[in-house]
Order: sequence, then C-alpha cells, then structure tokens
Amino acid sequence: MTGQTWKSPAVIGTGTMGRGIMDMLITAGYQVKAFDNCKKNRISAREWLEERWWKLAEKGKKTLFEVESMQERLMLVDSLQGLSDCDFIIEAVPEDLLLKRNIFHQLDSLTSAETVLATNTSSLSVTSISSKCKHPERVIGLHFFNPVWRLPLVEVVESAHTPLELVQQAMSWLQTMGKEPIHVLDTPGFIVNRVARPFHLEAYRIVGEGLADKNQVDRILRSAGFPMGPFELQDLIGIDINYSASHSVYEGFHYDPRFRPHPEQRALVESGKLGRKSGKGHYIYE
Amino acid sequence: MNEFVLLVGKGKLVEEIDSYLNQQGVKTKTLDQVFPANEVIAVFDLETGLNQEKRQLLQQVETRVTQQTPIFTSVLHRTATEIASWLFYPERLVGFSPLLLPKMTSVEICFPIQSLRPNHKLLSIWKQLGKDVEIVGDQPGLVFARTLALLVNEASFALSEGVAKATDIDLAMQKGLNHPQGPLQWADQVGVHHLYAVLEGLQREYGEDRYRPAPLLRKMMYAQFIGVESEQGFYSYGAQEMRQDPHCFADRPERRSKMLSDA
Repeated sequence: MTGQTWKSPAVIGTGTMGRGIMDMLITAGYQVKAFDNCKKNRISAREWLEERWWKLAEKGKKTLFEVESMQERLMLVDSLQGLSDCDFIIEAVPEDLLLKRNIFHQLDSLTSAETVLATNTSSLSVTSISSKCKHPERVIGLHFFNPVWRLPLVEVVESAHTPLELVQQAMSWLQTMGKEPIHVLDTPGFIVNRVARPFHLEAYRIVGEGLADKNQVDRILRSAGFPMGPFELQDLIGIDINYSASHSVYEGFHYDPRFRPHPEQRALVESGKLGRKSGKGHYIYE
Repeated sequence: MNEFVLLVGKGKLVEEIDSYLNQQGVKTKTLDQVFPANEVIAVFDLETGLNQEKRQLLQQVETRVTQQTPIFTSVLHRTATEIASWLFYPERLVGFSPLLLPKMTSVEICFPIQSLRPNHKLLSIWKQLGKDVEIVGDQPGLVFARTLALLVNEASFALSEGVAKATDIDLAMQKGLNHPQGPLQWADQVGVHHLYAVLEGLQREYGEDRYRPAPLLRKMMYAQFIGVESEQGFYSYGAQEMRQDPHCFADRPERRSKMLSDA
C-alpha cells in the first residue's frame, strides 16, 4: 500500500455520521458509493445532502455547476456487493459490535485484500471489530466528530494489527480533505471520549453532593472558558448518548472507579429526560 | 483611606493576582511590610497548602489584622473548614479558588462549617472588583479547579500509557470539544502543582481512588516540572513564555508502532 492514495471511497450507513463523511468525500472531489441496508435511509440521505448543498449554493458558497456535479458524484448502491471495487470503505453504522463485526466479516471476502476497511466508532474496540477478518491488517478506526463539516478532528485508531504505514497514509489523506487527524491507540474511549469523562462525571458528583446546583456548575465552567457547561452540553448531545459513552468507557477499563457513571444518569435516561430532543433533560425546553 | 489587600504566598499566581488587583485600583501589601491592622480590608492567602507553611503563615496573619478582617484562603488543597480550625477567629475565614481569577467573570467561594451563619458582609471586596460571587460547597478545588484537575489527570494517564502524544491530546480536546486549551497546555499555564494539590486534597478528603494523581504528575512534582513558571511542565518554555517545543518528555512514540516522525 506504499505511496497509495485512494480513488474510490465508499460509505456504509447513511445516518448522521455517514452523511457527514459522504459530504466530506464528495466535497473533496471523490466519486462516492454509499450503502445502507434500509432503502428509505439511503434516499433520505441523498435528499438531505442535496438540500445542504443547495443551501450552500444559495449562500454563494458553491456554484450551481459544483452542486450538480456533487450530486452526480454520489452513487447509492443497494447491496454490500456493490462496494466490491472500492479501495477505501468507511463503515458508519450504529455502535453495535456484532453488527459491525458481521459487516467487516462480509467485506473481508467481498473486497480485495488491498482495500482498506475503516470503522467510524467512538466507543468500540477496532481490534474487536476486525477480529473475524482474514486480513485485519487493512482495518483502521476513524472516529469522526459531529457535525463532520464543522469539527475537523478525526481520531485515527491503530488496532493491534494496523501497520504504521496505513495509519500515516490515512492521516495524510484526511489532511488533504481539510481534517486534523490525530494518531491514537485502540484503547477505551480513545482520547476525546476518555479525557472528557471527568468533565461530565465530576459535575454529577458535585451536584449530587449538594456542593453546587447545575446552573452554577454550567455558569462557572463557562466563565473559565469552556464553550458550554457539562449539563447544557449533555442536553444538547443527549443524556442517553452521554450515559452510554460513560458506560462503555467504564466497562472498557474493567470498572476502574475513575470512570464510574453516576446513578442520576441512569435515572434521567429511564425517566425519559434525554435533553433537548425530548424537551426535558437537566433543563426544560419549550 | 490607605486601605489595601494583604497578599500571602509566592509564585506566578501571586504576581498575577497582585497586578490584577493593582489594575483594579486596589492596593496590595505583603507580610514583610509594616502596616496598621485596621487598614487591611481583606487578606488573600494564595498558598496552596501542600506543606505546613500555609498554617504558619495564617497564624502570623491573625496577629497582623483585626478580628473581623475577612481572610480569603485558597482551598485548592484543603477545605475551608480544615483551614478555619487553625485560627482563633475562624468565622471570618472564607475559602476561594484563585485559579484564573483575573480572567473569570465570577469567583467561587465557600464558607467553612464554623461560620454557622455565613456572613455575606465579608464578601464586599468582590463587589468592588466586579466579580459575580458563586457560593459553592466546601471541598478542595471547588468547581472549576476540580474539573480541570481531573481532566489533566486523565490526560496524564493517557499520555503515560502512550495512547497519543501530548500535542495530539491537546489538539483533540481543542478541536473535538472546543475547549479553550488542551488539558496539558492548560496545566502548564495555571501551574501543574495547583492541580496536583487539588487531586491529592480530593483523594484525602474522600478517600477514593478516582482522585488518585497519575504517577506522571507525582514525578513532575518531584522534578518541579510545574509549567511555564519553571520553564518546564509537560512542554518546555523559553524566555518569552512561548511554547518552544512540541515534544513532550513523556511522549512514548514506541507505543504507537514506533512512530518516530512528526507526521
């Protein structure tokens, strides 16, 4: 794979992250094949992306001609087989280890051993996802951040099998698309999700012990320079999402007390207070 | 009137707060100067308290000010309650967090349990300085310093495990979560020793392993790698306080597939 740049990338899974990744690749000029096992999802992803691009055209950030050719560069396919001739496949399906492992197992036999298989995951082990592959050395993790077009960071994850050359090539390739990749080892939560844990968990403890209220914690941390306090941030990303990230890092470190989730997280999730999306979370939204 | 704030402690933090107070039109004096007790409007004790010096200094302070003079003491390492127990007149002691004081619009303060009915009149200096007062509970580090200390601790564990190199850890937290600075740079700016003090204080007060300082931080304390102040923290610094070298002494390139280049 030395000196190779990839020419025909593909995306599996057309949810929020998949769409962001498709947008990045198409904007960079690639012809992109995309697959999702739900036909409705595929079609709505195309509509959603086209709407986004036309809005950019209205603002004068894209020409009509550019948008038309971007539309042409997106090719939806209706089976995994349709991706067999691609050379860099990025999987972005929901965070379900069995689902991902199964897709990689299938891709392993559908594609040539030269094709790079990347998984977009924030909390699963890349080594574990590639464990059923005959060629796990072509598997790499790419943790993108949402929204992909606004957050340039990508955690490029080296699994137990990934050679350094592949990590470096993937990093240079992402840089050509305006990304700021960092190289991380395949450990629970990588860097961002792991180092951010105390920001959330300690806030629950401080409030739980009655040392401060949620509003105060948010105000104080904003005053110190954080863009948002932990509680308003959780309401934005979803308390359930944050709880499951807490839990997966906790589990990944074999229940190290540093990562222990707080009982209130579960209580909020179970009572349906998930944040902005449910109208109620740490705060109430009209 | 010749009113002034009595500043106790030493180091970069004291210099920063001294010049901040002077900019706000508040005069400052130190213990080695001569002054009448009734001219002290407040005491700012910025000693972190990792050793016994803080206690001795505060006992000295009590002989130089009136019984009512408010004493604001750094609670980065000890609770206000513990510190108040050293004083003859504990009711006038108030804990506060001095980190980023010049920059933050608010100030975090806490009362010791000895002041059964917190006396809000003690807080008038903060009004004069235009700070919003956030009264929080009495535990080491209060809210911000506690949060930052734990972020830095986790970043230190990840760094010493070789999960990523220092500059990548900092970049990740800035670019991925829009933090104003990466945790390691931030620690170098505010002083690694202050954050270490918070962790050790929390570990002692709660007796919980989650606050255990990373072994790397302990070593940095032995070596006095406390940040910009000593020109060596996670990074090395030159005369102009600029970050000179993206290399961190604790990077472990061999862990990441012998990644030697700075790609």
